[in-house]
Amino acid sequence: MSGFLKIAIRNLLKGPVTDPYPFGKTFIPNKLRGKLKVDPKACTACGTCEEVCPSGAIHITKNENVYVHTTWYNTCCFCGNCEFFCPTGAIKLTNDFHTANTEEEKYRFTTVALISEIKCESCGEMFVPASEALLKRAYPNVNDTIRELTKLCPKCRRKKAFERLYQ
Amino acid sequence: MSTKIPIGPFHIGLEEPIYFKIDLEGETVKNVDMINGFVHRGIEYLAMQKNFFQNLILTERVCSLCSNNHPFTYVMAVEKIAGIEVSRRANYLRVVADEVKRIASHMFNLSMLAHLIGFHSLMTQTMEAREIMQDIKESIWGNRMDMSANTISGVKYDLDEGQIEYILKRLDELEPQVDEIIDIYFNHKIVKARTVGVGVLPKEDALRLGVTGPTARGSGVNNDVRVKAPYAAYDELKVNVILEEGGDVHARTKVRWREVKESIRLVREAITNLPEGPVVLDKRPHIPAGEAVTRSEAPRGELIYYLKTNGAQKPERMRWRVPTYMNWEALRVMIPGNKLSDVAVIFNSIDPCISCTER
Repeated sequence: MSGFLKIAIRNLLKGPVTDPYPFGKTFIPNKLRGKLKVDPKACTACGTCEEVCPSGAIHITKNENVYVHTTWYNTCCFCGNCEFFCPTGAIKLTNDFHTANTEEEKYRFTTVALISEIKCESCGEMFVPASEALLKRAYPNVNDTIRELTKLCPKCRRKKAFERLYQ
Repeated sequence: MSTKIPIGPFHIGLEEPIYFKIDLEGETVKNVDMINGFVHRGIEYLAMQKNFFQNLILTERVCSLCSNNHPFTYVMAVEKIAGIEVSRRANYLRVVADEVKRIASHMFNLSMLAHLIGFHSLMTQTMEAREIMQDIKESIWGNRMDMSANTISGVKYDLDEGQIEYILKRLDELEPQVDEIIDIYFNHKIVKARTVGVGVLPKEDALRLGVTGPTARGSGVNNDVRVKAPYAAYDELKVNVILEEGGDVHARTKVRWREVKESIRLVREAITNLPEGPVVLDKRPHIPAGEAVTRSEAPRGELIYYLKTNGAQKPERMRWRVPTYMNWEALRVMIPGNKLSDVAVIFNSIDPCISCTER
């Protein structure tokens, strides 16, 4: 009996162990998996996150000259698969866990990133260029010749690269 | 003169929905009939509609307390089919995640025991000690329950010096608290009055019914998969099997508490001797056609996965047998002969996981 009495008295002296959360501070670790943050500069709209998302919370749709990357928090299960499998590191899970929302905000409770297309320098067709992060993954050292190539659409790039080989 | 009493399916003394039909004579249970099937969610079918990477998360959501063991066993099955060799570092990190989950799961069950025997302050104390494990999970893996640690060909996280130090510091904080609480669970007269000699499962019955996990080890049957068929890094980290002879609720409580201590030792040993190397393969592997059966030791017992693939991106068939499925039948031996008020305590002592069983 004395064993538990000791604990009880100690707890009595120590005070409450719960956090006064909405009114005070709480413990939020840096690695907590919360809302998404999508970097539209690094994203190439490849669709990997859409493929690996188990709950189908991520949708990539195409509007005119722009890809829209939408994450629905009413479906998202904060598993972090999108962050882990993203080839360019464009998606990061922040430690913002505040997901309480009113029914009115139901369809606005999303993270939207716009990945805009650019015009091909040679033929003028619209396309999504390879991001710097993707280049770093593909080539050991990224030089200006490679950066020049990213401004061309896949068709012109193929032509240019072929010409370069046989000159 | 016998009375029939229903308990459940939704009852304050039960963690999860299950329906007990109890025949009483006086206050003693004469016979028990159990009906389940209240939380069926069709996850087995859903697993066949999702690809291998989505299933990593889906299997985790089968049950929250064994949520590391389901994807763990699943990725072992996928790796067996694809013939992938996992690095030593990844294997050690898998063990760390698994043992942290085991401590948290056992402590949850034990605090439920304290709650069911009416020792409410002991329950809150156990839960508070468990909160240290929750903090570790939150700080290292990013979620309090679903850690999402495993992936095909390795693990998703890596531990650096600071994180290892953090885990060791928190474990040093946990261990004295555990020792203090263990003393109460083992020796306190209220706990002993409600658990000693209650829900006895003799060794012969344990062998006949093929029970698994702490339920079997409480009856003196050694069937720890970590020792009998080592996987991941368990052959290098020698696991001491905890055995108790009593076969009653008290013996199972003792097994769980001693396993918590053993798991703390394992986590310490694994993170201090972490080998160097990659944690995951760079290339995402192709999964060929084939089938595999793998098993692992979940907190509740032996977990078996069967996976069949046909070379496509989705499994052709996936099926798993969970520990509660075997422990379930043992309730027919344990419950008759006890008082009505002990039914919930005995039911809790097998550490039931109904959401795993019915998925």
